[in-house]
Amino acid sequence: MSDATSDAASERGDVSVDLKAIVQEYPKADGTGVNRILDGVDLALTRPEIVMLLGPSGCGKSTLLRMMGGVRPHGVATPTSGTITIDGVPCTGAHDDAVMVFQRYANRPDLSTRENVAFPFRFGLWKRKVDPSTAAKRVEDMLAAVGLQDKAKLKPHQLSGGQNQRVALARALVLRPRILLMDEPFGALDAQTRDEMQTLLVRLHEEHPCLVVFVTHDVTEALRLGDRVVVLSAGPARIVDDFAIEEPRPRSTAWQRSTGATRLEERILNHLHAAGGRGQVRVSV
Amino acid sequence: MLNPYQGLPAGRRRLLGVAAVAAVLLLWAALSGSGAVTPNKLPPPWDVAHALVELSWRSDPAGGGSSPLLLATLASLRRVALAGLLVIALGVPVGIAMGASPPVDAALSPLVDPFRSAPIVAVQPILVMWLGIDEAMKIAFLFLGAVVYLVPMVRDAIRAVPSSYYVSAIDIGATPFEAVRHALVPMALPRIADAIIVSVSVMWTYITVAEYINADTGLGQLIQNAKRFSAMNQVFAGIIVIIALALVTYFTLVAIRNRLFSWEATQ
Repeated sequence: MSDATSDAASERGDVSVDLKAIVQEYPKADGTGVNRILDGVDLALTRPEIVMLLGPSGCGKSTLLRMMGGVRPHGVATPTSGTITIDGVPCTGAHDDAVMVFQRYANRPDLSTRENVAFPFRFGLWKRKVDPSTAAKRVEDMLAAVGLQDKAKLKPHQLSGGQNQRVALARALVLRPRILLMDEPFGALDAQTRDEMQTLLVRLHEEHPCLVVFVTHDVTEALRLGDRVVVLSAGPARIVDDFAIEEPRPRSTAWQRSTGATRLEERILNHLHAAGGRGQVRVSV
Repeated sequence: MLNPYQGLPAGRRRLLGVAAVAAVLLLWAALSGSGAVTPNKLPPPWDVAHALVELSWRSDPAGGGSSPLLLATLASLRRVALAGLLVIALGVPVGIAMGASPPVDAALSPLVDPFRSAPIVAVQPILVMWLGIDEAMKIAFLFLGAVVYLVPMVRDAIRAVPSSYYVSAIDIGATPFEAVRHALVPMALPRIADAIIVSVSVMWTYITVAEYINADTGLGQLIQNAKRFSAMNQVFAGIIVIIALALVTYFTLVAIRNRLFSWEATQ
């Protein structure tokens, strides 16, 4: 696919991710059977929107996210049963439709901001797909989009935690992914920086619409960012709630304190309590 | 005084170091100068200094002259440099492969690890049988002595890189090979440089052994020869030159390493 056509596709943000009856089991450490992490998850994501996967810590959200990326860093086959399809094509391994962003931003300490954002273009996959001049232009555009153009020559240790997370976000978005998978990306940031990053993500999503699947255990974050919130129970995880939020973004503090938002918050917490409970969620307003 | 976290001012640190060296020199001068220890066991420092001068320049009755010390130093340096290049060219890739791939590590560890505590010196007769008594044997001996330290250190350097760098490279489209090449190796380079520095130091400690057999030239040969003629002052002079060379190469390599990997201090 040429860059122009892929750009057009990513501008529309068309994508469909379908998870059917997903079960995931990991062998127990002592070898006496298996731990069931995910217990029959059905989920259809069809629009370039921000979908929040909310659940207690350790409930299997990250496992679900990794499955959509086709990545299995720990060598265990995923999923144990069930199917994942992307645009109707079964997803059985790593694919380039999805890019992941983690809490650990893993910027190379010896490279500048610009080199870190351009890092994926060192890999054969992206070298084949994007020619060098287009790549260079995208890198500059993305540096400007995340507000780091005047920090392009600095190294990671000269940046704050939030700025480093911007580098990681830019490194993912520079690939124009159709699916952006985010695993508690802002979890380690202080409240103010987290706030700034959430605002940035909302803006970038408007400029480059794509399907964002965002894992969090922060109820407030889910309500602030999500077009749709999918609530998972403590492990083995099942979907216990799935609703849309119509309120346009950016969502004001006034809205977050409104009766409507408070009701949604209570609804989520009730579901989690009813599903029984190990693991923690956070409410930060 | 007993607080390991309280730094010492640079001046005071240097002063204490110089004072300790001076104290040893004084003790040495007192012991040998007073005749308490005979010069054939412990030559006085001035004799050693004299030997250093004498070895540095030996005039020829014909008018020219030569420097046995310079020739010996160049010969030893050449051997260490050649063996060092071999150690880096072969040891670093093997260490990286072991660090990056558990099956390679499982296969090669039993072949490499035991040699770290094996008497490498005892291997020399075998090398003589295989390679003869010329240059090849000497360089192979230095290579073996150093590579068994280097390989496990390079492997550990790769393993010490946090897994998040590997995982995040894979997640943005790297093949496993690319993740090792672009995420693990660059991050491990400072520790790989440390491994190279240690290996070079190890080679300097083995240089005399390497040059004992069929020595035609080199610092080891110089010491061996002096011993044969009971010239203890020359033995001491040779040892001092080896220590000095080892220190100079060590500090040069450390300076290069710190310059190349200045980012590492920020980690």
